[in-house]
Amino acid sequence: MFEEINFPGQHEQEKIILFLRRHWFIFLMRIILILISIIALVMIYFFFSTDDPNLKESTYYNLLLFGESLATLFIWNFFFIMWLDFYLDAWIVTDERIINIEQRGFFTRKISELKLTKIQDVSSEIIGAIPTLLNYGNIHVQTAGEKEHFVFIQIPDPNYVKSVIVELQEKERVSEEKELGKIIRGGK
Amino acid sequence: MPLISIFYLILVLVYLAIGAAIIFHMLYYRINRKVATVMFFIYSTGGIILLTSNFFLFRIVNWYNIFSDSGF
Repeated sequence: MFEEINFPGQHEQEKIILFLRRHWFIFLMRIILILISIIALVMIYFFFSTDDPNLKESTYYNLLLFGESLATLFIWNFFFIMWLDFYLDAWIVTDERIINIEQRGFFTRKISELKLTKIQDVSSEIIGAIPTLLNYGNIHVQTAGEKEHFVFIQIPDPNYVKSVIVELQEKERVSEEKELGKIIRGGK
Repeated sequence: MPLISIFYLILVLVYLAIGAAIIFHMLYYRINRKVATVMFFIYSTGGIILLTSNFFLFRIVNWYNIFSDSGF
């Protein structure tokens, strides 16, 4: 299911269980900004066209088209910057650990990971009317140490993700206990 | 080189610098190779078409008339 996905530091036998990004609604909200800019460009064109019916014959017509084209050029870039910000923020749950890839702007990228056995507490929250309707929210993963605290932000179906993490953590804990038992018994 | 051409060149350079940063992030930090490749082609094709059309529009604008009309 996740064969195409690869992330830095991926182990050879590591199996990806969940691959999460922010909910599509968050991206849609950002896209609305782009749509507003496009509508504004169209409105500017129609405003000048209706204001001066002879605009097409005047020297300013080409200037208007050039200005609109220049704005479109930067809107194009702006859209891809937004897409990258959405696309490069990811949370990966594997059978060994949780990985948080966070992209802030162009040159700040943070990758942190947490072993499943280190997890002590997992809680999910859905706050607000729209998140409740669309079923997205945050997950807080707490470790034994005070320092490490993982937050999955605005991910879809947080309750399901929480249950998967808890299940995986339990499995990992049991297998670790079994291995420890083997070592204590002298490898039998 | 006319002043307007220098301003335009600066704008194009800013655009290209942002474009280079976008392409670098798309291809270097790719999580899914297919998605990154498709988006790279969409971005570069669209970017080239928009930049070319913008350059032609820049050329056909009668800058001399516009600036003399506005009193510059």
